[in-house]
Amino acid sequence: MPVSAELKVLKYLQERVNKATKEFDGRPAEQKVGDGAVATTEGLSKKQGRVRDLMRRLAVKLGKENESEGDGK
Amino acid sequence: MSASPFRTVLAVSVLLGLAFGQEEGQAPAAGQEPPRVQEVKNPFRPFDRARFETAAKKLGATDAQMQAFAAQVADVGLARAADDLLRAAVPAFDAAVKRHEATDPVAALELAKVLASTTDPLLQSHVRYHMARVFLDSDDPERSIQVLNEYLTQNINHSPLDAEAAFFYAQSLAEMPLPDDAIPRFRAFLQWFPDASERFRSSAHQQIRELERQRESRLHKLADGMKKTTRDLKKQKTDKPVQLDQEKYIEELQELIEMYEEMEKQSGGPPSGNGPSSNPATQSALPEGEGKVGDLQKRPTLADRWGDMKDRDREKIEAAVQKGLPPQYQKMLEEYYRKLGKASGK
Repeated sequence: MPVSAELKVLKYLQERVNKATKEFDGRPAEQKVGDGAVATTEGLSKKQGRVRDLMRRLAVKLGKENESEGDGK
Repeated sequence: MSASPFRTVLAVSVLLGLAFGQEEGQAPAAGQEPPRVQEVKNPFRPFDRARFETAAKKLGATDAQMQAFAAQVADVGLARAADDLLRAAVPAFDAAVKRHEATDPVAALELAKVLASTTDPLLQSHVRYHMARVFLDSDDPERSIQVLNEYLTQNINHSPLDAEAAFFYAQSLAEMPLPDDAIPRFRAFLQWFPDASERFRSSAHQQIRELERQRESRLHKLADGMKKTTRDLKKQKTDKPVQLDQEKYIEELQELIEMYEEMEKQSGGPPSGNGPSSNPATQSALPEGEGKVGDLQKRPTLADRWGDMKDRDREKIEAAVQKGLPPQYQKMLEEYYRKLGKASGK
């Protein structure tokens, strides 16, 4: 898969996290407390963490490709 | 006064468009975003030696100088031999280049005078090449880009220096630093000039790797930022600052997508040029005689020399800049010497 396509997937996932973060933040104050609210923000954190892991994996992959290009020269 | 970063990038974007095959008539209107380079077309044609020799004679090269050129080609390569021929044929040009070789700050002024005095595209190409080298040696890549852009839009296909002009254009972008613009230009150099000197090709490969590493680190930085946001969200922080961070990731991802799309378009055409030379060196040693034109070492001492000069000598150069030069070179040199002065503390 081209790098640009992988980045588009990451952008799409990040946009979803952003939208969910805004939705949660826009809720009335009483809906942002309690176990339900904690579960929602933990879910958001996990989704953000997933995007971060994929980003890191892509950075590492590109780094390895660059190194092997250099070795193969 | 130096140009703002925005103006610099805007100017460079326009220059890149012109330098890589965009029609002049397609230049963006004032206030319009310049178009990104979508497709890089090779504007260079194979070197026409007969045409070069005719042009050199027109500039005053004698039969003896032409014979010396022919004898020199095999030893030092076309670029060096051609440059030496023009230096022999045009004494004022030779004197200006000697000033550069002697790390004399007046070199830029002397080269500008030669440039202002000629309409010959061959001589212009060699003068502009040397001016760009002077600017690069003075840690002034912005003006090097400016003068090489003139070379690439007005003077290509006249001299065997084209390959090196293309290399130093990419080098200047890298030193700006505009790595996202420099990488495709280094790749274009490798693709379009498979027979270029191995020292330039090796340097281009090396710089691409280094610039790629910098870009990879941009992805790591993005991941680092996301790590912080992950923690924020876990702490139930979902307010504006967190949302702004998330918006920044989207913007950064969009920039990276555009950058990679451009690179993928370029590598999707003919061979990427990232492979070995089609004309590899038979020895690992640098070819003899290329040292002057192909010297990749920076010589920051031009600023030192400017600082070491007597006040009256500096004033003499500054006054000469104001006399007899076309306005664009006058402005270019005013900015150059001002920058040199800042670097030297004068």
